[in-house]
Amino acid sequence: MIEVEGLTKLYDKFPAVSDLSFAVRPGEVMGLVGPNGAGKTTTLRCLSGIIPATNGAVRIVGEDLTTNPVAAKRQLAFFSDEPRLFDYLTVQQHLTFTARIYQVSDYQEIGRRLLEELEMADKIELLPGELSRGMKQKLAIACGLLHSPKVIFFDEPLTGLDPLGIRRMKDSILKRAREGAAIIISSHLLHLLEEVCSHVLILKNGRKVVDGTMGDILQKFSEQSGDANLEEVFFRATGEAKEGK
Amino acid sequence: MIGALIYLQVQSIKNRLRVRLRRLKKPKYLVGAVVGAAYFYFFFFRNLFTGRGGVAAGTADATPPETLLMFESLGALALFAMVLSAWIFPHERAALTFTEAEIAFLFPAPVTRRTLIHFKLVRSQIAILFTTLLLMLITRRFGGGGTAWIRAVGWWLILSTLNLHTLAASFARTRLLERGVSNWRRRVVVLSALSVVLAAAILWVRRTIPAPEASDFASLDTIKYYVRHALESGPAFYVLYPFRLVIRPYLAPDAHAFLLTFGPVLALMLLHYWWVVRSDVAFEEASVELSRKLAERIAAIRAGGNWHSTAGKQKKKRPPFALRPAGIPAVAFLWKNLISAGQAFTLRTWLFLALFAICIGGPMGASRLTPGWLPPTIGIVTAILAGYSLLLGPAILRQDLRQDLVNADVLKMYPLRGWQVVLGELLAPTAILTGAQWCLLLLAVTMFSRIPEGDAVPLTNRLSFGAGAAIIAPMLNLISLVIPNASVLLFPSWVQIGRERAGGIEVIGQRLIFMLGSVLVFAFALLPAAVLFGLVFFLSRLFLGMITALPLSAAVAAAVLAAEAGLAIWWMGRLFERFDLSAESVS
Repeated sequence: MIEVEGLTKLYDKFPAVSDLSFAVRPGEVMGLVGPNGAGKTTTLRCLSGIIPATNGAVRIVGEDLTTNPVAAKRQLAFFSDEPRLFDYLTVQQHLTFTARIYQVSDYQEIGRRLLEELEMADKIELLPGELSRGMKQKLAIACGLLHSPKVIFFDEPLTGLDPLGIRRMKDSILKRAREGAAIIISSHLLHLLEEVCSHVLILKNGRKVVDGTMGDILQKFSEQSGDANLEEVFFRATGEAKEGK
Repeated sequence: MIGALIYLQVQSIKNRLRVRLRRLKKPKYLVGAVVGAAYFYFFFFRNLFTGRGGVAAGTADATPPETLLMFESLGALALFAMVLSAWIFPHERAALTFTEAEIAFLFPAPVTRRTLIHFKLVRSQIAILFTTLLLMLITRRFGGGGTAWIRAVGWWLILSTLNLHTLAASFARTRLLERGVSNWRRRVVVLSALSVVLAAAILWVRRTIPAPEASDFASLDTIKYYVRHALESGPAFYVLYPFRLVIRPYLAPDAHAFLLTFGPVLALMLLHYWWVVRSDVAFEEASVELSRKLAERIAAIRAGGNWHSTAGKQKKKRPPFALRPAGIPAVAFLWKNLISAGQAFTLRTWLFLALFAICIGGPMGASRLTPGWLPPTIGIVTAILAGYSLLLGPAILRQDLRQDLVNADVLKMYPLRGWQVVLGELLAPTAILTGAQWCLLLLAVTMFSRIPEGDAVPLTNRLSFGAGAAIIAPMLNLISLVIPNASVLLFPSWVQIGRERAGGIEVIGQRLIFMLGSVLVFAFALLPAAVLFGLVFFLSRLFLGMITALPLSAAVAAAVLAAEAGLAIWWMGRLFERFDLSAESVS
């Protein structure tokens, strides 16, 4: 469960995110959408405790991220668009290190299953420098899922993946949601979000312009001007000019 | 077309300068720039303006002609070696260094190969002019005499000719490869020619001057005589002649002599230029590959990696110990950072070194067969090294927050308190430094069996000193590492994070301020421990004796330092928790 109330992030005096409130319940997948510079990545980084929010409250599975960050962080995983790995640790050593940090006692069995699921069981002795970009992303995912997080944030999860990788990533996201995880995905790939997300939140200039279930939003915009997909909704909600129209 | 390329170069420099000047609006860069400028003025420029450290500008050089000739010969020999290396060592095809952006814009553009070479030559001139300035400052600072402008043009001629020759040689090597002459065949031919020249020179020297006696080498003048004779006459003179031409303008004592020597070297340069632009060698493919490798390396450094850590090249390192999933999380950082430091830092290595120190140092120190001066000298040197490691260690060992803060996104997400992360990050360099110091102390204790040319030092005294130093060393190391790590959190933009090095006079100034500040903070941190050490030592020596006093007072001082380090780590943990990456990236 992710609860956000009045989240605000200022860079000096510039408001990157302003007074943002929403909630994502277990099993829900929320798509975070917005033009470049809308504040999507800043929002996700605030929600995962990487950068401090200027104002507002974030609760992860009931734990306040500001007052009880350790308990809150134990429940979450954040996957950035660029996998951050230690270039001197092998795949196996990454899992060993992560297991100690998160105190995952049965990490070897979980790690083995994750690596098999991600089709990199034969790469445990390789260093990040020896992995392709997609494989690096898979390793970051294996490390992030090792402690079975109840809250997962994805920032542009499909960057650099091949079509098969995209399919597997979508399946993996839906599987985690079915298992009860609350998930937020930030992406510009609107057709992907339409397939995967149960909810959508559209940001513009750091402010929420649309928020609700995918069905409700599509229906609301369809009522205004015929059939609408998420792309139409995005352009109308953000007031961005769509090329060719 | 070359106009567009020059425009690109000029605008790049202008914009880089503008960015540098704009960041001077921030006090941290302005203060750094002022300190950096003062450093350069007092260390280099002052001598340039006042003429100190050399002969005042405009006056004739007072160096005797025979010394100048000696310099000319040695300079020519060095240049010859550099040119020779361009024909022996490289094995790759000719590749001009372009950035990825330059390749993307210029290679598909309607630009001739010759224009690209001209662009490369123009760009290399910027580096050459900068190097000329630096060499001018350094040679003036350390006593190089002569007229300033002659020295400057002299350096420029040497560097430009060398640059043109290196480029031409790379084209020629590629041409040879294209014609089926392998690298090894080329090397054999070059080395054979070199052997013939060397043999001729040696033969000539042996025939013309009597062979030197062993005692001749005791006198510098005799050595000079042999070197001069070998280089300034016979075959070596002729082989080195073109290189002498390049060196001569730099050594010219006045404007007249300079003008006389300028003509030949200018002709040599033009000849090289003609050689380079007339070489129709395909360098594009190798250049693309080179730029890709460079971009990969830069990306690896920005990600906190190693300059050499390009894909597939880094080797897997053995973990120092087995890390279990349960236990103190900070130990995970120790484990990770010891892996980063390399395979040498395992418990097995330290035990081996300690055993080596005992097995070699003990018998050597005790043996009557060992020369009397040797054991105490080794003992003193190792003790000094242990002391120096305290100062130099934190600068060399950076397997802590300074390395990992580039991955701050990951660190901040861990379910750990800030102090746990900070403590974990400090453990590896502290452990490595302490291990090295303990080994050095062990060697010092076993070796320092007697005072040089004096009495024997009892083992109990040595053990007492060694134990005292060994007890206090870990805490001293921890404090010395706390300072740069706290600085990273307090002033992230003042300290080098990861392995990417920033440039500019303001950055040099920042480092100077940081260095001075670190020394002051370290001295301040040692003060309470030093006072208590003195007090306990004085009292315990009175009641318990010297042997016990030293380790006891060291233990008390170590406890004080540990308390200070504990407080500092707790405070740094708070800083880490509040550390706002976004604010840093914005600034």
